[in-house]
Amino acid sequence: MIRQLLRVVGDDYRAPIHRFLTSVVCYAVLQGVTFVLLVPVLRPLLRGDVAGAWPWLGALAVATAATVVAYYVQSLQGFRVGLEAANQLYHRIGDHLATLPLGWFSGGRVGRMAKLASSGVREITGLFAHQLQPLLSGIVTPLTVVLAMFLFDWRLATAMLVAAPVLYLVHRWSVGMVARADQAMDEAVAEANDRIVEFARFQPTLRAFGRVGADHAALEEAMRTQDRVARRYARRMAPGKAVFTVAVQLAVAVAVVFGADLALGGAVDVAELIALLVLVVRFAEPIVEVGELGSVLRSTRASLERMDEVLSTPPLPEPAQPLQPKGSDIELADVRFSYEGAAGRPVLDGVSFRVPAGTMTALVGPSGSGKTTVTRLIARFWDVDSGSVRVGGVDVRELGSESLVAQLAMVFQDVYLFDATIAENIRVGRPAATDDEVREAARLAGVDEIVHRLPQGWDTRVGEGGAALSGGERQRVSLARAILKDAPIVLLDEATAALDPQNEAAVQQALGRMADRTMLVIAHRLQTVVAADQIVVLDSRGRVAEVGTHDELLARDGQYAAFWRERSRAGTWRLRGDRSPSPVGGGSVTPVA
Amino acid sequence: MAGPSEQAATAGGGMGPLAAILAPERPRLLLAVALRVVASVASLVPFVAIYELARELVGGAPDNSRVWTVAGVAVGAVLVRFLFQDLAANVTHAVDMDIQLRLRRRMTEHLGAVPLGWFTDNNSGQVKKALQDDVEALHYAVAHAVLDLAGAIAAPIAALVYLVTVDWRLALLTLITLPVYAMFHRAKERTAGEHMGELGGAMGRINSAVVEFVQGIAVVKTFGQARRAHDTFAQAADDYMNTFGRVVRPILRLEAVSSAIVAPAVMLLVVAVEGAVFAGLGWVQPVDVLPFLLLGLGLTAPLGHLAYFVQNFMSAVAAAKSIHEVLDTPPLAAPEKPGLPDGHRVEFVDVAFSYDGENQVLDGVTATLEPGTVTAVVGPSGSGKSTLAKLLPRFYDVTGGSVRIGGVDVREVPADQLYRQVGFVLQDVQLLRASLLDNIRLGRPGATLDEVRAVARAAQIDARLTALPRGYDSVVGEDAHLSGGEAQRVSIARALLADTPVLVLDEATAYADPESEAAIQDALSELVAGRTVLVIAHRLSTIVDADQIVVLDGGRVVERGRHEELIAAEGRYHQMWRAYQSAVPGGTDETSARVLVPHGHGEVQ
Repeated sequence: MIRQLLRVVGDDYRAPIHRFLTSVVCYAVLQGVTFVLLVPVLRPLLRGDVAGAWPWLGALAVATAATVVAYYVQSLQGFRVGLEAANQLYHRIGDHLATLPLGWFSGGRVGRMAKLASSGVREITGLFAHQLQPLLSGIVTPLTVVLAMFLFDWRLATAMLVAAPVLYLVHRWSVGMVARADQAMDEAVAEANDRIVEFARFQPTLRAFGRVGADHAALEEAMRTQDRVARRYARRMAPGKAVFTVAVQLAVAVAVVFGADLALGGAVDVAELIALLVLVVRFAEPIVEVGELGSVLRSTRASLERMDEVLSTPPLPEPAQPLQPKGSDIELADVRFSYEGAAGRPVLDGVSFRVPAGTMTALVGPSGSGKTTVTRLIARFWDVDSGSVRVGGVDVRELGSESLVAQLAMVFQDVYLFDATIAENIRVGRPAATDDEVREAARLAGVDEIVHRLPQGWDTRVGEGGAALSGGERQRVSLARAILKDAPIVLLDEATAALDPQNEAAVQQALGRMADRTMLVIAHRLQTVVAADQIVVLDSRGRVAEVGTHDELLARDGQYAAFWRERSRAGTWRLRGDRSPSPVGGGSVTPVA
Repeated sequence: MAGPSEQAATAGGGMGPLAAILAPERPRLLLAVALRVVASVASLVPFVAIYELARELVGGAPDNSRVWTVAGVAVGAVLVRFLFQDLAANVTHAVDMDIQLRLRRRMTEHLGAVPLGWFTDNNSGQVKKALQDDVEALHYAVAHAVLDLAGAIAAPIAALVYLVTVDWRLALLTLITLPVYAMFHRAKERTAGEHMGELGGAMGRINSAVVEFVQGIAVVKTFGQARRAHDTFAQAADDYMNTFGRVVRPILRLEAVSSAIVAPAVMLLVVAVEGAVFAGLGWVQPVDVLPFLLLGLGLTAPLGHLAYFVQNFMSAVAAAKSIHEVLDTPPLAAPEKPGLPDGHRVEFVDVAFSYDGENQVLDGVTATLEPGTVTAVVGPSGSGKSTLAKLLPRFYDVTGGSVRIGGVDVREVPADQLYRQVGFVLQDVQLLRASLLDNIRLGRPGATLDEVRAVARAAQIDARLTALPRGYDSVVGEDAHLSGGEAQRVSIARALLADTPVLVLDEATAYADPESEAAIQDALSELVAGRTVLVIAHRLSTIVDADQIVVLDGGRVVERGRHEELIAAEGRYHQMWRAYQSAVPGGTDETSARVLVPHGHGEVQ
């Protein structure tokens, strides 16, 4: 575990950690020595020779003073190391995340990473500040005492040395048992909680279909199962938790019995025996504490493992000598790609097409045909398995990620807005832009219209993840960012959701402004498709089925023509009630208000 | 790292809710505490045994049988301790299980009665937190902390009482370090208290910097500014280290000193010196120093645990409070004089509504939905159209006027009766993690597979479901992964089977994948036939055949009539229609479709 800790915190922080560990060991040994000095103090005292005890009491005082100083030093050191290690971790996480491919940042992973970077880092800090010292001294102090006991009586010392591995095994067994029970309970709790959260989230539906309150069978079942499992494991677990403490005490009791036997046999000096027994009994305690630390360590260890995993994720390879793009065309040549860990067929299977500079290409195809993957490979969210993606005639892997993203403006469906003002969010597109430029981009994307409606206008904070704005409004902010960025290539994933007419018009207008760029659009609107200079049709197996203009593809009467017919039918659909009774409101228009 | 000072901030709420939760369990908790106290006292016996042994042996000529009795008692005490400690833990765990089950049941029962409008994302998150974190915090307090505290207090008190019987002077002197400890401890608490705000601020800042950095890094990278965001984050991390280090170091110094004062090594020295002095003066027998070494060292041990317990207890208080907040949400008022709707005419009579009591979202809206007709509600964003639709199935209750079904105010219709009348299909499709069969027959659990398949066929989804590995028995999210459009068709099948005469459709095709839009439309046509329908639609083209179109603006009805009439009137609807047409030209009208031309005209409104 220490090795993993060192790896996660990083090589350049090894020395302070080693220094801290050394201090802790020093403290633990000193504490052990202090305890051992009790034997020479007690030996004369119990024989009634009080004066003979005083020199040893002096030694005890010196050892105690040294122990206290060592405690103080390691305590402050642990705090400092913990804080510095946290800082080190933040920096390492920051450095590393900045080099990971964009594709790594999927929804669930980002959430887990945020948790790891906040509470995970705190746990690791706590390891230094609170856990390592009791853990180490709980082992080192008793070990010092046992080794020192050989100076006095080898039989008792040997007995203690034998007890150690037995105690360790008991400890392992009890921790394992508790862990297994914990896991089973956690699963049952998670299931019950999921059901209740589902119950809360889907309350409208449940209520609409008559499942009110306890009427929801799945929920009741989950709660009962959780209760049953929890009870079963609580019964099983309780002895597991007590068993280590008791084993330690039992060892003490055995030492008493063993000592009594020796003393009665007259084989040992009584005073020495008693002094040693006191020693044995006192040192049981730090070991018990080691046992109690087990469960805390388990969760810290899990955080360490996850952190290690993140930090050892290979970064996106950067070219040694980045090339500059020549022009702004895009070309895919025989691109094959499959997602890591996804068995079966590749997402893209030999895709080739070219988007000439300054033209618009529409990508269409059924869901799962790899349209989104195409745009993401161009932005180098991942690297292709084979074939190549070229921007301005240069393979994206030779461009270097900074100069690649400088070429691209991306407007995707999942728009992340920072918890900042709208103006600040737009400025992300080009931090050096003037206020006027930001306003102009906002106007072009129809964001100014949103701003007028917000309580504090331009200064309204839009909340983490942009929660205060609707989906259509968020996409407008994202468009404004893209306009401000003013990149030669635009990758656009059109919103599938129907926008209300205002949003729709604003988006279309903004896109019109960018039409002199090289555009690759995942098109959901027929008018976008029709307007394209070229249409690339992907089939459900991730291959290019057809390429051509709207008219050419209609004439071919293939996949595109079928798609067109279906969509046209959807475009003319009207909701119609049963009109058999006479129509209502047949009179004239009645303006109100 | 901030320890108790951090916790103190959350403690303000008082203990009421926690006391209320624990009250019915008081007898069993007291029993558990008693068991644990016995176990703690038993844990001292082996120490006393060594003392007894020493007295027997040191005097010379030991009594063999007495020595063995003492050893036997020591072993027996260990067993007693094990048994009682185990029993106590069993009792508290049983109590905890009962509390958990009771809280979960109460919570679900209550959630079934609060207004539907309460279930926003935010509040669902609160439910989740109450169930996961808060119940867990209570678990720790009830199942573990109570016993740990009992043990931590009982053992030193019993030890002290025993030591007093051995020699009261030495017993008191053993505690000599306590006042010094108390002094340093108080100084530490005071310093911590002074800096609590600063510490809380530093922790809050680093946490939000972490979240913002991790959440936003992908966006920032796409704009080529990873370095800048990274620098900001690194700066926040450094600030945190500096602030935290500066503020906490003095607190930590005091803490290190205060815990050193009561550390075993110091206690050992104190007791040994005092013992030697007393023995030298002949006040005690040398052998009588032993119990002070054995037990006296443990007297100060609970001091460390106490802070830990206080911390747990504070979290439990805070947890109980937030659980109670969920349980305190006012439920929907039950009808005073329940009435049953007569027919399915829907009337909005002078309806007013406000979410916050200040801004009127709806103001004097009156509209009648004749049985078997389609009424469309249109208007710009923020005009109140979605709110209007939500009043009918009682997501919220009106703040003025009334909503009636079959002549009866919806507030007077018992919930189960209301939902037999009103069904809805929302943008946000809600499929339960259950089999597709159970999902579709949610409203009619007794429906047969044939009936379910019939509605699924009508909703254009039967073929897809049959093709799943386990067909209709496939479980949503486990072996049935449906696209948005497919899930929407399942929800339409569900509404078909429930067969309510009144139906609310809120932008039901909005999140469909374009490929399945046509299929959803066919399913909707099937669904609305013959029902009284209230529909909210963004695509105006889909509602041109509605029997009645109600145009809302600023929470008021500004126009109503049929499509042709409203177009002819050249009012608000006509404007909207023109804006809509210029943004979304008819799908077959190819020549006017080139919207993406450079420098478009832009005068859409």
